[in-house]
Amino acid sequence: MTKEMQFKTIVAQYCKVKPEDMANDMRFREDLGFSSLDFMSFLGELEDTFDIELEEEDALKVLTVGQALELLERL
Amino acid sequence: MQEFYPLTAAQKMHHNWILKYKTQQVSGVSVVASLKSPIDFGLFKKCIQLELERYGCMRVRFTKPDKNGEVKQYIVKKDSRDIPVKDLSGMSMHDADNLMQQWAYETFDGDDIPLCDVTMLKLPEGFNGFFIHMDHRLIDSCGLVVMINDLMQLYTHYRFKSAYPEDLADFEKVLANDLKKANNEKRFAKDKKFWDDQLDALGEPLYSDIQGPSVLEEARKRHGNKNLRAADIELEKLFVDVKDYYLEPEPTKNLLHFCMNHQLSMTNLLLLGIRTYLSKVNNGQEDITIQNFISRRSTHDEWTSGGSRTIMFPCRTVIPLETDFMSAAYEIQNVQNKIYMHSNYDPALIEEEMRKRYKTPENTTYESCYLTYQPMPVKMENPHLVNIPQHSKWFANGAATKKMYLTVSHTENGGMNFSYHYQTACLEEHDMELLYYYMMRILFKGIAEPDMSIGEIMEQV
Repeated sequence: MTKEMQFKTIVAQYCKVKPEDMANDMRFREDLGFSSLDFMSFLGELEDTFDIELEEEDALKVLTVGQALELLERL
Repeated sequence: MQEFYPLTAAQKMHHNWILKYKTQQVSGVSVVASLKSPIDFGLFKKCIQLELERYGCMRVRFTKPDKNGEVKQYIVKKDSRDIPVKDLSGMSMHDADNLMQQWAYETFDGDDIPLCDVTMLKLPEGFNGFFIHMDHRLIDSCGLVVMINDLMQLYTHYRFKSAYPEDLADFEKVLANDLKKANNEKRFAKDKKFWDDQLDALGEPLYSDIQGPSVLEEARKRHGNKNLRAADIELEKLFVDVKDYYLEPEPTKNLLHFCMNHQLSMTNLLLLGIRTYLSKVNNGQEDITIQNFISRRSTHDEWTSGGSRTIMFPCRTVIPLETDFMSAAYEIQNVQNKIYMHSNYDPALIEEEMRKRYKTPENTTYESCYLTYQPMPVKMENPHLVNIPQHSKWFANGAATKKMYLTVSHTENGGMNFSYHYQTACLEEHDMELLYYYMMRILFKGIAEPDMSIGEIMEQV
């Protein structure tokens, strides 16, 4: 599984959109229905899965699936 | 072979309250759900028995404490109990509610026993349904709503051939995963650092009471410590009364629009309302802590596995009076977002750290107010039942571990309900009237003039 698909599989656990239907311009809150708690829990899940350290300030600027993927690639 | 698991942090929270307050009553949760429609009770009984199979958390039991006092949980494979029917149809609804309230005060006493009682009911005015009484270590209110909807879907499937409900996540699998996450050392270290950093930056919290500074002053006298920053907890007289206030749909819409337009969550707006009131009645105190409950349900599995996933964390903010309303709201949101990221941590460890650092006396607290915001209504979301009147009601367990616990929920007609549970040993209905009145004045002044400072709002309301 590619990193992108692995990432989208995690996102899919939090919403009703399947990984294969998930577009990079989808917004976490408006399009995928994430609450603040969902989003912050999701960030924690990313840290544990990909063994990365997210800067909270950077992570909070993320609005879309694509932006989160870019952030993941940078780390 | 039977597996045994330790308690999760959320379960431990309730378990520790049972030990501290010496009664299981503090951990009771009860609800009635009914429809104004005839029910085939024979079929309904089978559906409840099937629900007991589907929803593993209903079959959880706890072992006798071992020599270190540790209790483990296990899930019995089968619970084939009979489900009784009680006929309350000859009573008024008021009397039936009063009787159910008495049932809600009942306790589950003993080890290795079922902690879930279900009774089918014939209610007044043509309503029929069921009453469920459980231990909060097994389930929280979101879990109960999911269970009620699943049960009604089972019933409508067998009665009206509607679709069979989707599978629920396996409680045991989700429990094992939660415990594994809690044991992740790297995650634990990050979470601990976050909470320790907050204490490093802000120092010891300062108690703020709904009734003003006199409560802390009395605690200082009682403990002979004029610098004490925590106040005593009521441990003996736990009787709780409930005062509900209803906010009409139109003003509710204004609050929701404000939240939507400013990307603010309702929880954070409510926290700002409470903290501003506490600041107002405590001579403008800027350092305020409120315990806020969150339900750790984000993934599909977490939503449908049942269990007790609600846990409280202290929301501490130091907001100068000259801060404008909007900035104060964002400040709370910022703190809450960080808390959410570290919400796998066991809040008992935060308390333990504070006791170690500040030598906080036993049975004292830094908080007088607790908040739960429930965006999910207790409503049977089932297309077959949509036009049938429903009667649902939560019943207080009658024993409060907290001085004032506010539950805010949405009503079916678009309004909001503010349900204040308060210890009658310390508070009166008038205290709740004041709190609600000023909370509303503060919130509506703030959303009308978000640039106004917190200090000015406090003066004007």
